Amino acid sequence: MVSDKRSPAAPAPTRVSFVLPVRRTTLKHLQVRDYLRALVTGELSAGDPVPSERMLCERFGVSRMTVRQAVDALVVEGLLERIQGRGTFVAPPKVDLQVRLASFTEEMVRRGMTASVKVLTAETAPAPPDIAAALDIAVGDTVIHLYRLRFADDAPMAVEHTWLPSDRLPAFLEHGVPSSVYVELGERGLTPDWGEDTIDAGEADDEEAELLTIKPGKPVLRITRRAFTGDQAIEYAQSAYRSDRYTLWVPVSRPNAPVVPRRRTTTQNTDINPNTTPNTKPIRSTT
Amino acid sequence: MDKAEQILAALGGTDNIVEIEPCATRLRTEVHNSSLVDEKALKAAGAFGVITSGSVVQVVVGPEADTIATDIEDLM
Repeated sequence: MVSDKRSPAAPAPTRVSFVLPVRRTTLKHLQVRDYLRALVTGELSAGDPVPSERMLCERFGVSRMTVRQAVDALVVEGLLERIQGRGTFVAPPKVDLQVRLASFTEEMVRRGMTASVKVLTAETAPAPPDIAAALDIAVGDTVIHLYRLRFADDAPMAVEHTWLPSDRLPAFLEHGVPSSVYVELGERGLTPDWGEDTIDAGEADDEEAELLTIKPGKPVLRITRRAFTGDQAIEYAQSAYRSDRYTLWVPVSRPNAPVVPRRRTTTQNTDINPNTTPNTKPIRSTT
Repeated sequence: MDKAEQILAALGGTDNIVEIEPCATRLRTEVHNSSLVDEKALKAAGAFGVITSGSVVQVVVGPEADTIATDIEDLM
């Protein structure tokens, strides 16, 4: 065991190994939490009930408040979910949604899940200013507007408004709403090849909450997408994803080196040139 | 004028550029004076959007951002 006789100048590593056992005895809810976490990631699967508060109190010799503190932490983490009147259960695993130019259907199929959709609105309408700007069309031009509720394995995951330029997609709704917009675009040789998503944190409004079967005010991920086929804007979409079911996954890499103006000087290394213009900045390497 | 020349001119020319960083679909540009940036001219040059915040102007140019930045570098 680590001696508790420490000199005041004891090095940091010694202090760390000394502190740990103290935390373990004082913060009992952490013990309960770690036990539950191991249970959830080990023996239990999604939908299984976790041991009752009473059982946990007895097992760890702690108060109900301590057990509740542990369970609360795991509910916030998204590992457990409380279902009113029924108890606490292992939450379904979050779906890692990669920010990339794939359709919801493609993303779900890639995960072995079944995607389905409920069309709430399918119409053509004149483009309001914000939609027109996003699609590079004139205000009032006709757009196809879809309002859909998306499901993965029958659980509501996202509500989505999609706008498409009608001029580029004649008779798009003629045979009903395509089950996948991206498949339909592909069949027309208009598969989007690049785009930009912006992601905001938001709160579900009453309508979204009802559709997503969550409480109003719960957090959602708001994803706004502008997708292009070559230099033509082809899709603008605003989605609200349940944040309790989604983790956004973004591959990251170092940014490219910026390019900077070469100052037009007749000689290299002008540091001894007295006629250097006052606004000359240090030259930064771009390679 | 090709696209790179038009974009550089619309950003206020070489003298107005601090640096340009190609970021996937955007040219993230730091300028000395953002009032010299001509948003309409950027759109006319083929920009899909312009987002300005202080002295930083982000020009949405699509997947060609790297190429355009290299072309602009050759002009500066």
